[in-house]
Amino acid sequence: MKYFLLIVLLINLLHSKESCLNCHSNTTSMDNFHDIKTMGCASCHGGDKNALTKEQAHKGIVLNPSRLEHAQIFCGKCHKEVIKRVQKSIMNSMSGVLDTLKFQFKETKQITQSGGIEELKAKPSSKQSLAEDHFSKLCAACHINQDETIFKSYTPRGGGCVDCHRVAPAKVTTNGRSVKIIHPKLSTKIPSSNCLKCHNRSNRIGLSYFGKFESEGYGTPYIHGKLSHKLDKSRFYYDLPADIHHTKGGLDCIDCHSEVGVMGDGKKHLHMEDALDISCQDCHNPTFKPSSNYPKAAMLSALNGNIPLAKEIAVTAKKGTPLYNVAKDGNKTVIYRKRDGKKFTISKLSNKPYHNLDIHKRLDCSACHSKWIASCYGCHEVYFKDGKQYDWIKHRKTKGQWMELRTYLRYESPALAVGYNKKIMPTAPGCQVLTTIYEGNKTTHPFHSFAYAAWDPHTTSKEARGCIDCHFNPLTLGLGNGVLDMNKSGISFMPYYDSNRSGLPISYPIDALISKDGKQFQSFSRDNARGFNKKEVNKIVDAYKCIICHGKYDDKIYKNFKQSKEKFKNKQTPCAKELLK
Amino acid sequence: MRNIIKLIILSTILLTTTDANECTKCHINKMQQCKTNVHFTLKKAINTTRKTFGIKDSNVTLQTLPKPPKTVKKPKDLVDDILRRKCLRCHLTSQTVNPTKNLCLACHNPHSNKADSFKAKPSQEKCLKCHNGEFIGTDYLGKFPHDYDKSYRSPIDKDGFYPNAKDGIDYHFLAQDIHHQKGLTCISCHNKEGGKNWLKPKCTSCHQSLSPNNHKSDHSRLSCTSCHASWMVNSYNLNIFRDDTPSYRQWRRLTMQFDPKLEQFLVNALKAKTPPPPKMVDYLDNIEKRGIWYSGWKFKRWENFLLVNSKDGKIELAKPMFQYKISYKDSNSTMVLDNISQVNGKKIEAFLVKHPHTITKKPKSCEQCHNNPTLFDKTQINKTLFQGKLIDATVLTKEQLEKMQSRKYKQERAKTLLK
Repeated sequence: MKYFLLIVLLINLLHSKESCLNCHSNTTSMDNFHDIKTMGCASCHGGDKNALTKEQAHKGIVLNPSRLEHAQIFCGKCHKEVIKRVQKSIMNSMSGVLDTLKFQFKETKQITQSGGIEELKAKPSSKQSLAEDHFSKLCAACHINQDETIFKSYTPRGGGCVDCHRVAPAKVTTNGRSVKIIHPKLSTKIPSSNCLKCHNRSNRIGLSYFGKFESEGYGTPYIHGKLSHKLDKSRFYYDLPADIHHTKGGLDCIDCHSEVGVMGDGKKHLHMEDALDISCQDCHNPTFKPSSNYPKAAMLSALNGNIPLAKEIAVTAKKGTPLYNVAKDGNKTVIYRKRDGKKFTISKLSNKPYHNLDIHKRLDCSACHSKWIASCYGCHEVYFKDGKQYDWIKHRKTKGQWMELRTYLRYESPALAVGYNKKIMPTAPGCQVLTTIYEGNKTTHPFHSFAYAAWDPHTTSKEARGCIDCHFNPLTLGLGNGVLDMNKSGISFMPYYDSNRSGLPISYPIDALISKDGKQFQSFSRDNARGFNKKEVNKIVDAYKCIICHGKYDDKIYKNFKQSKEKFKNKQTPCAKELLK
Repeated sequence: MRNIIKLIILSTILLTTTDANECTKCHINKMQQCKTNVHFTLKKAINTTRKTFGIKDSNVTLQTLPKPPKTVKKPKDLVDDILRRKCLRCHLTSQTVNPTKNLCLACHNPHSNKADSFKAKPSQEKCLKCHNGEFIGTDYLGKFPHDYDKSYRSPIDKDGFYPNAKDGIDYHFLAQDIHHQKGLTCISCHNKEGGKNWLKPKCTSCHQSLSPNNHKSDHSRLSCTSCHASWMVNSYNLNIFRDDTPSYRQWRRLTMQFDPKLEQFLVNALKAKTPPPPKMVDYLDNIEKRGIWYSGWKFKRWENFLLVNSKDGKIELAKPMFQYKISYKDSNSTMVLDNISQVNGKKIEAFLVKHPHTITKKPKSCEQCHNNPTLFDKTQINKTLFQGKLIDATVLTKEQLEKMQSRKYKQERAKTLLK
């Protein structure tokens, strides 16, 4: 018996070559880590590796094992932990978008977490709410487990792990009976173009980072008789200054957005910003920890192959996870570009008054260092109840058709508001919904819901905006475009936009987040977020009285600002003596 | 009985009044006056456009405008064509603005107009038939043209219709001119046709006493509009493209071209099974000719403004005009001109002094000029907007800019705010 088993084992060893390769002899490996010689085909794709006929061999075979319903079985043999995280991630469920949409459409009073895509899969179309139908038809094309094969005229998205990790597609060539398969290449060096498949709409950070602004749609200039600067079939862009991290270092999305931030931390999160791990300070004012404490950092560094694992690496402030490409190098902080391992020195947060003064301690970095923010005003949602439109979840046409109209676009010096993190952040419309529903001969306008949202626009520049750009700019304050002035009776403001005569169902200018008295005209979908209140508006504008003359941080009044203020109040400064006569 | 006969004769006259002669029976002097009038000759618009296309010392009128040359090699070979088929859609006897064919009725209301109680004064509605869209005119009512793409036909009104686009475009409504709010119409200021005040009425002829507190001597060179015009229609980079081939598909979202006739043609052409040949009417001889003139902007803004020194020594507002990028594809699909923005080796891009009719009592704040980003922010985001040359004006000098941010200004401003 013993000998028999040994012989069987020996035979098995000798015949360990999978029968798959009898036909697919010309198949390449996915990468060095997944070598076809050592791993074979069946460990990832299933099927019967010892079968002698095609039919038998292909039983239970999976073309794309990285789809999340298969990944746990196949990829999960080695990558169990990460797949669990990805399954819970917000890029899979898209619940962040759906739940906010329901809130904006006034279907829920408070944002609560839904099951996202999975929940709607099980819900019959006829039972879907307006927001759910809108989500299914206009938003749900993008999620990492989308079926790649349904895309005909748009860039395919989805497919599970490959949605992000695939860097070269499969190529199959047949010549008679011989089939040559070039296996898709997967990598942890995810090119930004993969991220941009989805991250190019809504707040448009994916475009802004690369200095592209979705334009008004003129397609100008006309080059060789064609509309130019196309994003896709019907969207166009023009060039604006890109983010400094792109222009200076050519950094990709993944150079900042870490593994945990993107693939999740194993918890279900309500919003994208909760899932996010990194912040500016993680690189520009880092906390270093010995890399030996973080086996995952060593693994990621080895996988990358171009980035040496330093002794001390940066750790995120928010979730305490390692950034294996940000390291201590003598006195300096360096970042390695994941694409090719190129090393850059990171400038350290300076000690100057502008970063240290108490008066600005509530500001998020993006409040001052963002050059522009993509702003899309007015989102007119038109719904044809009797029409039909493709449902990206059910993968067929269902009843109800949407059309989106808008009021106007701007790229502008960002308006500011208190953001989701209670810090002062750039803000722009997000979204200003008005609705029209056509049903039979009837037209109704069931609701409107005008909201702003705060985000980092990803248009970072080294030089910050000037003092006046915040302290005496009605747009920055959230009042909108118009004439801001100050007189004895306080702040006065004359807006340009006339919403009422423009046919909008609102009593305030479309670009007014607040009134000059801090009344909140438009809402936010986040608990902590709001426009400035009366006290804040007055305080910001009040400071301008000093800023007119003391408009630069190297001005001596900022050396000891507290003392300077005291002196002014006691009329001891030259200007107080002269101006307050 | 006599009265009835009179009435019949009168009504037949009125019904058959199709040419100016009917009016000139009584108003013979006026007719002579009209022939030298800018509205009749359109001299300024025609010759400034021809000049930007590189035709030197151009001095033609609507009546003497030559026919475009048959072969096109340079942008200037296209200028008379674009004038005839695009710009001159508006002229006194143009079918689209004045279907009566009666020269006078283009502006003057006929005596039968009951609403006007038998007065022949031009109504505002008549003026705005031409003076609309990108131009000074409809801005008086606060109107700012929407963008062309079909996603800008918003908001839908309560009955389910798109906004009114009679001019060939629909509008945003911004702050209206105070004179409009108070009930004045165009001719309240632009009165006495041909007279001194007609083309350029002076604010000071009505507003004779200005408060000395608010009108300091430092600002004596400023025109009234530089401060009191609240916003203006700035449309950047006019891309124009004549296509002699029937390639309509790429314009499917851009059929609204600020030209109702062209819009209708494009809508029909896109629906047709066999696309019709590209044709557009010459508004001077009313003959359809080969080719479609498409146009599009880079973008439009109302909040930007540029201050310049005008040739008569005033500081004025200037707006982007004639920032052409010209393309021409002939019927063999050859790109004869491909996105040309230079004429005679020089960039065409130009700004023109304008007086936006968006006057408000409250002027701009000091900061809007003294810290105007378009004058002082030389970062990439703004500098691309104002590189153009100025027609009949010069940019503010370094000294002027320094003065605007001088210590004296700052102290003065601080003093008023700290009061």
